[in-house]
Amino acid sequence: MTDQEKLKAALTELQAFLGDRATDSAIHRMAYSRDWSPRYKDMTDLPDILVVPRNTEEVVQIVQVALKYELPVIPFAGGTGMGGGVVAWKGGIMVETKGMNQVLEIDPANMSVTVQAGITIWELNERLAPYGLWLPHQPESKRACTIGASIGCDNDSTFGVRYGKILDCLTNAVVVTGRGEAVRLGHRKASFSSTGYNLMHLLVAAEGTLGIVTEATLRVVTLPKTREVRAWVFRTLIDGARALERTLASGLSVESAHLNCRRRLHFYTHAFRQKYGKEPEIPDWAESILFLSFAGDEDVVEFSLQKARSILEGEFHGEWVREQEMVEGYWDSKHRLAFIPFKQKWPDSQREKKFGAADVGVPMGRLEEMYHAFLEISAKYDQQILGMTVYNESPNKVSPSISFAVFVDDSTEETVQNFYRYVREMSLKAVELEGTMSTYIGDGDRLGGFNELEHGLSFQYMKELKALFDPKNIMNPGKKFESRWIQP
Amino acid sequence: MAEYRALEQFVDDIYTCNRTRCGFCSVECPVFRVKRMETYASRGRMLVARGLLEGILEPSAEMQEVMDACLMCGYCQARCALENLDIFSAVRRELREAGFASPKHEQTAERILETGTLFDRPMPFRRVGTTPLYLGCAYQSKPHQVQTIVSVLEKVGLDPLVSDEVCCSYIISAVGFEEEFQRAQARFRQVYGPHLEKEILTVCPTCTATLRDEYGLQVKHALVAVAERLPGMTIKPINRRVTYHDPCHLGRMLGVIEEPRQILKALGMELVEMEHHGVFSTCCGGGGGVFDVDRALAVEVAKNRVRDAVAVGVDIIVTACPTCQPTLLRGAGRLVNELGVFVDVLDLWELLDQALD
Repeated sequence: MTDQEKLKAALTELQAFLGDRATDSAIHRMAYSRDWSPRYKDMTDLPDILVVPRNTEEVVQIVQVALKYELPVIPFAGGTGMGGGVVAWKGGIMVETKGMNQVLEIDPANMSVTVQAGITIWELNERLAPYGLWLPHQPESKRACTIGASIGCDNDSTFGVRYGKILDCLTNAVVVTGRGEAVRLGHRKASFSSTGYNLMHLLVAAEGTLGIVTEATLRVVTLPKTREVRAWVFRTLIDGARALERTLASGLSVESAHLNCRRRLHFYTHAFRQKYGKEPEIPDWAESILFLSFAGDEDVVEFSLQKARSILEGEFHGEWVREQEMVEGYWDSKHRLAFIPFKQKWPDSQREKKFGAADVGVPMGRLEEMYHAFLEISAKYDQQILGMTVYNESPNKVSPSISFAVFVDDSTEETVQNFYRYVREMSLKAVELEGTMSTYIGDGDRLGGFNELEHGLSFQYMKELKALFDPKNIMNPGKKFESRWIQP
Repeated sequence: MAEYRALEQFVDDIYTCNRTRCGFCSVECPVFRVKRMETYASRGRMLVARGLLEGILEPSAEMQEVMDACLMCGYCQARCALENLDIFSAVRRELREAGFASPKHEQTAERILETGTLFDRPMPFRRVGTTPLYLGCAYQSKPHQVQTIVSVLEKVGLDPLVSDEVCCSYIISAVGFEEEFQRAQARFRQVYGPHLEKEILTVCPTCTATLRDEYGLQVKHALVAVAERLPGMTIKPINRRVTYHDPCHLGRMLGVIEEPRQILKALGMELVEMEHHGVFSTCCGGGGGVFDVDRALAVEVAKNRVRDAVAVGVDIIVTACPTCQPTLLRGAGRLVNELGVFVDVLDLWELLDQALD
């Protein structure tokens, strides 16, 4: 059979059980032609077929058809990934997972919820709120980002320093593997398991290359009664990081901790400038700004703020940012997503160039070195600096997951290629500093194969694991093990 | 008067959306909530617009079907910083020029141009008074509701003047019938000429936004006038627990968000807000001419909006729009078996009339 004959036969079989939820219409395929990753503006990657399943059984049938005709299967969720993870650059069947958005069980007694993986984090939290519960895994993309996408990308969470990321919430998952089987992985509603292998962990950051996650069981927590956010400025980056470490060591429970370089602050104060028409008053000497939030009962939060001030200001000479409107504006941007109607930050800030980031991770003691490398490497590749944010994503630890962000000129293929040269060199530097190339974006279509430099021999084990789950290499090919942008 | 821009003139907005992909507009788009496909939300349509601009896609009946399924409610625009609705109207104009338009919309345009009204019903109501009140086609086809509105306006001390009027023709503008809209607008100005220089009271949210934004007229929604006059008036309280559905044009486009709530409060009602309200309210299903071309979709959108009310534990929705009320009632009726309860949809003018007796 020719490729065209295979596609035609596959579409006929898919339409037999999906009806008009399977289509090869160019209009529908166009709507799935890119994600948020940097690519030149007229670059187009069209999948061959789009399907919109409603449950695990339909996904099993879809993968079985794909297996029969050896067609790529690409799961699509929030579409907000910055690494090209859902781009169908090998063609194939695009699986829109947001059709699977049902809450299957809310179990308040066990602080657990089971959902179809296509529900957004925002919608899930709306459903949990009447029970006084919430899922604390909170990426900034949560209005669009789904549970499946969080598992697939292992994305960031605003509250990582208290609750960790999606893996810290996930207890069970159903995945349709590249063998066309639905497999339950994990430990049901139990928090841990020491039986067998923790295969569920493999799904996190797998970017759909092992299978499509269709259902997930998650631990949820009690909504805090109150929350306060404050900011402090420091003379150096490492002062900010050490001050956070000391705050955690004091026994305080910090809910969120983000350390920004001075330049990055500008990006987060969009709402403040919109509202007040001025720049925030940050002292000239300040090189870093640390935003902390504390949440819980009012008296505990009040005590935490006082104690934090005594540490940050008394021991580390941090200066409390008195302009609380700026801090609230930051929080509007970071967590509440409470942008002024008709003036939402994201598109408004991307009118000429687009956001792009190297999302490396280095140990705490190498932060300054990595930051200086950022300044040098971004200049070398002519990248306009947007700034650095250090997220902290492990409970109660300074655990840098870093966004070194630039504005990408996406007018031509060459200018975009230049951005990926920047990412390549930043990644090499991170590995040199005993770190990792990616902490929240994932390999996508940029780091696959190149990442062997980080993993060494274990990369071969990864290939064998991939073959176990996906013997015909149909699940999101062109990711993890192959790159279109960065070569070794 | 608003000027139409060709699709090419929106190229910066289209590429800005394409390169951003934040998706804040998408999942809560009322059509996406039903269809669950990117193509039916703003972010996906922006890629379709790019496809059309670059010649990747050609105008087609299928593209027309996709664009016709937009309620033009503006939820996406409130979550964005771009000119989403104008872009979708520009795509529809391109489609029309290429020969792709819904026969239903063609019939609507023809009817409006021939008869001056959206519906095959007369526009019978006239009243001698001092303050021009433009009713619009939807209310003109509901004589009982018009009597109610006039009764309320009289009770608050207004003296509405209802004279000859023709359709504002919003719908043919929204679906991309540019030339027809220009003709309809000229006709409106001719018929309504004596009042064009005055402040016009309006009651239909869509007409209000159209007269303000497309015609450049000075308009005031009558509920605003009522809210101004309500303090100090004798009111017979209506003790009910309700939610309020903001009509898209009234809340999001015109910013009349607080006044209906002030009125509900003044009438003694307990207001429970739905998740999506005010500027971020979602459509009832009656917007953008969708009901004419895909009735099943419109009803599914209406059902979801009724479910929003049930989700906050309320079984009475109050609204203030001649399109929203019947559309939501249709959705509520179809949900009786699923919900085990009939969610009633009440008109704010009716409640006002009762309370001001």
